[in-house]
Amino acid sequence: MDQIITAVVAVIGVPLVLLGYIIGGEKVIERLPGRLQDWARPYFWALPAVGFATIFMVYPMARTVVISLRNQADSDWASGAWGVFANYHYFFTFPDTLTALRNSVAWLIFYTFFAVFLGLVIAILVDRVRYESLAKIAIFLPVPISAVAASIIWKFMFDYQTPGTPQTGTLNALLGIFHRDPTPWLIDEPVVNNAALIFVGIWTAVGFCMVIISASLKAISSEVLEAARIDGANEFQIVRLVVTPLLWPTITVVGTTMLINALKTFDIVYVMTNGAYDTDVIATRMFSQMQSAHYGRAAAVGVVLFVAIVPLLIVNIRRFQQQEEQR
Amino acid sequence: MAEVFARLSSRAIALGLGTLLLVGACGGGGGGGGGGGASTTDVTVWTAWGGAELKAFKDVLAPFQSKTGIKVHITTNRDSTNQIANGIAAGTDLPDIAPGPTDPVQVKDWVTKGALKPIETALGSGFSDYVSNTYSALITPPGGATDDPYIGVIGGKHYELMVKTQVKGLIWYNKKVFTGQAPKSFDDLLAINPSQYGAQKLFCAGFESGAASGWPASDQIDNIIMRQSGDQVYTSWIQGKTKFTDPAIKLGYQTFLKEVSDQAVYGGRNTALSTNFGKAGDPMFKTPAGCLFLEQATFITSFFQQDFASLNLKAGTDFDFFAHPSVNSQYDGNVNGFYDNFSMYNDTPAARQLMQYMATKDAQQIWANDGGTLGAIKSLTYNDPVFKRAADVASGAKNLLVTAGDFMPSDMQKAFWQSLLNVTRNPGSLDSELRHLDQVQAAAYTSS
Repeated sequence: MDQIITAVVAVIGVPLVLLGYIIGGEKVIERLPGRLQDWARPYFWALPAVGFATIFMVYPMARTVVISLRNQADSDWASGAWGVFANYHYFFTFPDTLTALRNSVAWLIFYTFFAVFLGLVIAILVDRVRYESLAKIAIFLPVPISAVAASIIWKFMFDYQTPGTPQTGTLNALLGIFHRDPTPWLIDEPVVNNAALIFVGIWTAVGFCMVIISASLKAISSEVLEAARIDGANEFQIVRLVVTPLLWPTITVVGTTMLINALKTFDIVYVMTNGAYDTDVIATRMFSQMQSAHYGRAAAVGVVLFVAIVPLLIVNIRRFQQQEEQR
Repeated sequence: MAEVFARLSSRAIALGLGTLLLVGACGGGGGGGGGGGASTTDVTVWTAWGGAELKAFKDVLAPFQSKTGIKVHITTNRDSTNQIANGIAAGTDLPDIAPGPTDPVQVKDWVTKGALKPIETALGSGFSDYVSNTYSALITPPGGATDDPYIGVIGGKHYELMVKTQVKGLIWYNKKVFTGQAPKSFDDLLAINPSQYGAQKLFCAGFESGAASGWPASDQIDNIIMRQSGDQVYTSWIQGKTKFTDPAIKLGYQTFLKEVSDQAVYGGRNTALSTNFGKAGDPMFKTPAGCLFLEQATFITSFFQQDFASLNLKAGTDFDFFAHPSVNSQYDGNVNGFYDNFSMYNDTPAARQLMQYMATKDAQQIWANDGGTLGAIKSLTYNDPVFKRAADVASGAKNLLVTAGDFMPSDMQKAFWQSLLNVTRNPGSLDSELRHLDQVQAAAYTSS
């Protein structure tokens, strides 16, 4: 019964209160003198939105920071090495999180670079062929697939069977054609398995990068390219000296988005290895700490992740603003 | 004019916004609810079961519902412990009946908070029958202790009603291939020459299980440690009081590694690591046989029958098992098993009646008839010869000890499972793995 009442209050009461706030508030504001009215109205209308953002975004963020400084039972401030920053001490010194950090850095570098670079190359190449939309569809296909489904698909692709028996994994079957022994792709640590996971990430992201870059490529006026050709530039020079600089703002936006994705990577690793054989990344560490009720440590991971992402977000927002101004 | 327009439009917006919110909210707000009050006609049950296990549970409940007229509302909920923990913390509705928590700290905590109701209360006068009928290892704390949170006993009172049990650490074999006698000791088992029976290797193994990979290996080492160094070492290790670098635990790892060396295991170590536990036994039924033995719990028989549907494999004639051989004769009474239990969270007349019913032989016999499990009651009859013998193993057990990883903090469990994968892959890393596990243990069991 309690739950029903709560639900009713939430779904009917909250909108009613909002409605009352707006109608009642407008009535009050209408009676104010003209200049005061103009001053008050925007604040009045913005307040609910700001309020909701505070309750649902700012407060949880602040609370996360607080929890990261608390002990496991949330009964007192954390204590131990680094004092109140004990949970951060755990993050920056514990071997498992250091491995996770190393892997996340690998994700940051390789996932971002290859996703953007391949996206750019493919966007430029398909721009020059007649079957462009077909090629783009093929590259874009993995994007709408959820990461979990993609991981399961690639688990089959990476499948390993005893040497000498039929290989059910596509990659090992290919190796078999060249009379090579199968490779346990997800087990060989630390290079092969992490590379395999990052590859799956790239596979799901290239299409996204390609589409965005391609759209921006179409916006480059053909006159610029013609002018370059008349001036005697060859195609490589055009791509390197004309197209890429013009695409640079887009590449930065796509790149920072990919960096954020790389930092947030969770599902692929969780589904394919769950961190076994040294494949943990920071988000999976956060999850396993949360699962074992070490909320302080999980929150510390969250805060570090947040701090790492903020500069990227700032770069992204700046870029958007610049683009807006150019228009 | 402008002012009128402004007023109109602001009202229109407000009205529109409100209506939108209302419509949206109502659309999503349906359902929910639940029981409440001391119902005599309805009882809510949460269970983690799905598929065949859920069907068996419904079979068990059918006579109860038609006889008493009580409606049982089952919800399959694989996250019930977390949700109940949240419910207790928030003071919201709990299911009437659901499995008890596995974490020993949580068991004590919930008992203190009064969330768990004693089985003594639920069963009333039927409690003494329940005690005398059920496998003693499931209801009796070892050594006359008053507390054993691993079986839900706190302060001498029981908080978990045992309904099903399974025995782990059984050594399965293809009867057409392995025709010898069951080995007496673990060393005898390791000394068997597979080529004598035309098999390639001694053991099959499959440790892959998605995000939970490594648990099948942990079952193997659990059986070794509890039967090699005893239940006290085993339990204190689960509780984080015995280190992984302790000689007893290290010896357990070393003994486990004998089962998964390239010489002993089918396909070599990479095969053991890449093979899903459900498919691990398949090479036993190939010609020539890939291996002689697979160590696994009672549930594995359904996988044999599924994977070789065309062979129509019969338990007892095509495949069979022997109990885990003696590692240290002093600890032969320690058997690794798990159980399914129900705890009562709301003391209602209907919930009591259902608890009383599930403790009866009639109810548990339906579970036994549906197959794939042992009941918690000793005197059930099993059509399946495998379960008939598994019941003997269970009744011969002095201590039915739980699976270690399941009762460790979850980051400890994850590290423990993955350490078994790592040492299987690279046995030379044993010492550094154990040192690492000590670090995880120190961090996982503390609450800084």
